[in-house]
Amino acid sequence: MKEHISEDLKELVIVRLETLPSDRKVSIGAYGEFDKEELIQHVKKGDEIGSKIVEVELEFLRALKEGIVA
Amino acid sequence: MSSILITRPEHDDTTYYLSHWSKEIIALADQKGIHIFDLNREKAVKLEVESRLKKSYPNLVILNGHGNDTTVTGHKNEPLISVGENESLLKSRIVYAISCKSAKVLGPKSIDAGALSYTGYDDDFIFMYDPNKISKPCSDETAKLFLSHSQRFTESLIKGNTVKESFSRSKNILRENLMKSLSSDSKDNALTRYLWWDLTHFVSHGDLNAAIS
Repeated sequence: MKEHISEDLKELVIVRLETLPSDRKVSIGAYGEFDKEELIQHVKKGDEIGSKIVEVELEFLRALKEGIVA
Repeated sequence: MSSILITRPEHDDTTYYLSHWSKEIIALADQKGIHIFDLNREKAVKLEVESRLKKSYPNLVILNGHGNDTTVTGHKNEPLISVGENESLLKSRIVYAISCKSAKVLGPKSIDAGALSYTGYDDDFIFMYDPNKISKPCSDETAKLFLSHSQRFTESLIKGNTVKESFSRSKNILRENLMKSLSSDSKDNALTRYLWWDLTHFVSHGDLNAAIS
């Protein structure tokens, strides 16, 4: 996912990331390990890692909408 | 006699977790009398992997590490198996790569080169963990949600089940963990997005009726 991330989309993803526990870390393969605040910062910057985080959120939201996960 | 080659780099949190979650697999193989070539830490390098694959003919190859579409890496991210370079060394083997993305291109290319099957992830493999459990990764209940299916996959293969049976059981574990997380009122609920991601990108190529025997 290399396209520009709109500010609205960033805001949506950040709100969702806020629900993550602060005392856990996320390993995203070769990108490394990140806590909640670091994930949010990458989304704000809109860098490659931020784009991946947005992609994961959108894929999950799509699955929820389609009733695949329920 | 069956034998297994496993790579277990431990140079960062991710590889440290994957390595420790592989220990039960090694113990099970040992109980079953299956010889294990355990390439741990600085032994998880290309020279060692190539040497073992050429000389020892392991039936099952388990690659823990980082990766991309075309490569799986080992100690300090040294490429171990890469498309166009040495994927033919996986010929006649059942392969499981617990690494990002390698099932996207390296997996199919390995099958083209003669590997029996290649199971792994066709995008990034994501997991959550509790940094307070870093000294005892196997007691990390958060990480368990993401790694128990992987452990089950190799355990099932070691017990003689086919790739298809093992893959199906493993996917069911991941699905159960996802549903457990989704129905939880606790903070585990927030992890569901990543379990879904892993479930979606966990794939198996090649002869799914293959088994180690």
